[in-house]
Amino acid sequence: MKIDIKFMGKLTVFFSILVLVAALPLIPASALAENVVKVGNIIPLSGPSASVGQQGKQAREMAVEEINAAGGIKSLGGAKLEMIYADSESKPEKGVAEAERLINTEKVNVLTGCWNSAVTYPTTAVAERYGIPFIVPVSVADKITEQGFKTVFRIAAKDSWWTRDQFAFLKDMEKEFKTSVKKLAFVYENGDWGKGFAEQWKALAKKGGYNVVLDEPYPSTSTDLSPVVQKIRRVKPDVLMLVSNAADAILLTNTLAEYKVKLKAIIASGGGHADPSFLKATGKNARYLFDIVEWETDVNKPGAKEANAKYKAKYGYNLAGEAVDAYLAMYVLKDALERAGSLDPAKIIKALAATNLTSGPGMIVGYDAVEFGKDGQNKHASLVMVQVNDLGKGLERITVWPKNARRSGYKPVFPMPNK
Amino acid sequence: MNFILEGTINGILMGSIYGLTALGLTVIFGVLKVINFAHGSLIMVSMYVVYWVIIFSGVHPYIALVIVVPVMYLFGYYLQDIIIKPIFKAEKDVREPITVIIVTTGVWYILDNLTLLIFGPQYRSIQNNPLRGKMLEFGDMLISVPKLWGFVTAVITAFAIYWFLQKTRTGRAIRATSLDREAASLMGINQFKIYNIAFGIGTAIVGISAVTLVPFYNIFPTVGVLFDIKGFIIVVLGGLGSIGGAILGGIIIGLIESIAPMFMTATWAEAIVYALFLVVLFVKPSGLFGVKYDW
Amino acid sequence: MTRKNINTSAFILLGFVAFGLPLVLRSPTYLHIIILLYLYAYLTTSWNLVGGFAGVLPLGHSAFIGIGAYASTILSLQYGISPWIGMIVGGILAAIAGILIGLPTFKMRGAYFALATIAFGEGIRVMVENIDNLGPLKINGPRGLQIPPTHIGFGNYMFAGKEPYYYIILVMLMGVLAFTYFISRSKLGYYLNAGGEEPEAAMALGVNVARAKLIAMAMSSFLTALAGTFYAQFTLYIHPKSVMSLDFSFEIAFIALIGGRGSIAGPVLGALLLRPVSDFSRIYFGSTLPGLHLIIFGTVLILVMIFQPRGLQEPLSKFYNTLLDRISGQTRQGEVKHEYS
Repeated sequence: MKIDIKFMGKLTVFFSILVLVAALPLIPASALAENVVKVGNIIPLSGPSASVGQQGKQAREMAVEEINAAGGIKSLGGAKLEMIYADSESKPEKGVAEAERLINTEKVNVLTGCWNSAVTYPTTAVAERYGIPFIVPVSVADKITEQGFKTVFRIAAKDSWWTRDQFAFLKDMEKEFKTSVKKLAFVYENGDWGKGFAEQWKALAKKGGYNVVLDEPYPSTSTDLSPVVQKIRRVKPDVLMLVSNAADAILLTNTLAEYKVKLKAIIASGGGHADPSFLKATGKNARYLFDIVEWETDVNKPGAKEANAKYKAKYGYNLAGEAVDAYLAMYVLKDALERAGSLDPAKIIKALAATNLTSGPGMIVGYDAVEFGKDGQNKHASLVMVQVNDLGKGLERITVWPKNARRSGYKPVFPMPNK
Repeated sequence: MNFILEGTINGILMGSIYGLTALGLTVIFGVLKVINFAHGSLIMVSMYVVYWVIIFSGVHPYIALVIVVPVMYLFGYYLQDIIIKPIFKAEKDVREPITVIIVTTGVWYILDNLTLLIFGPQYRSIQNNPLRGKMLEFGDMLISVPKLWGFVTAVITAFAIYWFLQKTRTGRAIRATSLDREAASLMGINQFKIYNIAFGIGTAIVGISAVTLVPFYNIFPTVGVLFDIKGFIIVVLGGLGSIGGAILGGIIIGLIESIAPMFMTATWAEAIVYALFLVVLFVKPSGLFGVKYDW
Repeated sequence: MTRKNINTSAFILLGFVAFGLPLVLRSPTYLHIIILLYLYAYLTTSWNLVGGFAGVLPLGHSAFIGIGAYASTILSLQYGISPWIGMIVGGILAAIAGILIGLPTFKMRGAYFALATIAFGEGIRVMVENIDNLGPLKINGPRGLQIPPTHIGFGNYMFAGKEPYYYIILVMLMGVLAFTYFISRSKLGYYLNAGGEEPEAAMALGVNVARAKLIAMAMSSFLTALAGTFYAQFTLYIHPKSVMSLDFSFEIAFIALIGGRGSIAGPVLGALLLRPVSDFSRIYFGSTLPGLHLIIFGTVLILVMIFQPRGLQEPLSKFYNTLLDRISGQTRQGEVKHEYS
């Protein structure tokens, strides 16, 4: 048997390349640095939720810049926060794969994410298995804090609180403006989020004695929503309640205006309606719309205006409620790390559980404290209702409810004037 | 009663626009016999082109046709010439050019994500165009003006293409190639040039459909995906290569989408469209107006 | 050593490496990636029974994954039946579905067949998304079903570590590869081959091409559904957009095509090469340049199709054969090559 040296050489090269390529996942993608706290962030950076994913990333980055510039985590010797971002593509299996990689290869100390509730469920399960703390800034599905996990901490209000507040707001408006509301129409995107809200709406409507005249899920990827708008027109509801993603929110709002649908009020549920592109794309068609969100730029809290101005200068649009949750999450993390004084996951979890954050640059939210219950849910998370209106300076979102959060000097318009 | 009439009219108008988006696809599908999975991406690219033309020049959207049509024609022509032709040559004897399907899927992934990377994920729209939000009122009914324009454009384009294919030399060469490519090349027709032209025309038609959509629709990187599958359903419904079939197929889909929700939720209307698609595939695969091809 | 000996020893060596891997590689991330790699290799090989051997292009196979996943999950969540049994039930349901789909569609040509399978896949997905309860069965529409990570144990198809999952999917993969090998050498395999190339000639010779294709479809869908159960038990959460999506169907088909359909090693090779490309571009570029990994994937698709339309297994198997030649000193025909002086 004659061995051809040149050939063996080629063979060796080929196999070495193979081995090197195969070893790649073992190399952490981030540089090894001293004295840092590694934070893994699993968010949708591509795919249908890319817009909100990007906003979440930007908000986090702004917070981390501030924290690191102010000296990092003092109890850890000035350790800086190092952010590693992973794209979930809004797919649960990608989120799970990334969680595994961030925990085992990148050796992150904390995880945050994932915006899409469908990705958050299984990803938090991974963190729970490894005992890594997981801060959920935005995903609202009730189930996330109802799984009995010890490592999950959620900042946003659960969706049952959102729906409860939407109805409380409605009742308050009826009282304040002495207008009675009898007929409700529910129109919602046919996904996890929309269906979750709709179920609770139906129960709340029953309790409140309302008559539900339309219960219409629609495909979020519809190219034409005129048939849905026709149905709304036909049943002549008093109030229309919506759950939509950005593209369909824009389409619905414009179509509702085109068909001159007369309603007393439209109440949206954040998400697509709160997306910065929404107002730009709908213009005056969105006037008088009510939207429930975590936060609004005019909330009466110190630092809120400045934070928003800074964000807007950096990225070109206002902070949305969900971006604020991400921003706050970083400060909650900083606070917990300071108290934990260690990178031991169990200590971080304990510190997070004992959080009672009432001040600081992160507390620009409408409520006064971040405190987690036994289930990891932020007890004080509350919501505000805004109304879109033009007060002479262009369309803006104005906080109207709860009454003590209302922008001074503004009286909400209810019912809507018929255009 | 009025609601049904209004819904029917909306279905016809919107449907004709769907048909217009599918018209380019049926020309390409009919001539090249390939499923162009990049179809949705071509719609998306066209919409961005229309958007930028209007932003920079402020013209009425339909005037943008002057730029959009030639630009998209060239885009399609060269897409076929550079990327797809080599595959055809490699697969000359294969009955079913399947690798082309993969290649067009690759093009789809590339175009959509390149757009995401360059232009960002946000939703854009033309706010100030003269057609936006205008409605015609007929008693209790409202008809959307931009959709009406779309309907007229669809019909005119369909007739224009039909005339082109029947009466011009190039058109007849295209029809010949689609019926029997070997015989056509024996007659002296340059097969690959025809493919390029057909692809170019198909993409130019997509450009026209984008102009009809921009006045009332959003523009974002994944907008094409919504029209992609619908386009294929319409093409099969109407019959491969049939122009009237594409428009009529689109109208049928539009009608289903408009009328079915009156009796059920909009989400079931989606299921009905797929069910109809399957029924047509089984009962009459050549579609309503198609010709049985032996390929 | 003869060619045959070397070939056999190579396989045995590979087998040792595969089985021994978890003992050497302790990183759960790596195991996770490899498990998914094997899963895709399994899925593409099962797909190959129809897409490769029967010569058609099915683009709706994720429906079968979904049927398998939902069947075993519903049975175990609601009725406490072990997912292993649920897996078989899912497989049978998928096989029936496959036959029902195949009956009308196999008469169609190329592109039409592909479109029909897309329509079936999407149609099933849309229906599942619209249904919350099917009689007593809880399907939960778009919200999907979550499997609580309790009741660890073999009987429950649930494990704490990754290693058991690794071995299960490895065994499944080897099983399906062996199965494919035997089918390709069997009468059925020859019928399918003949039916793919020259159906009229085959039928003239008395081959029941239609029946052969249906059998292949039933086998393919059954096997695919088994993977659905694996997926459900591994990720512990299923919903229509994850287990029944068009993306999933496309990915399986394209990996098999790039690897080289119709061959046995092709689909596995495709998975081995493409999955890392997709994963790594997402890991390294996903956060800075979103969507770049899909651009890379698309480019790879195009390049491979232009330069190697039969799939990458062609040049790779040529290389492998050259290797065997050099080492054994024999050519394929068994002659001994002349020694160089």
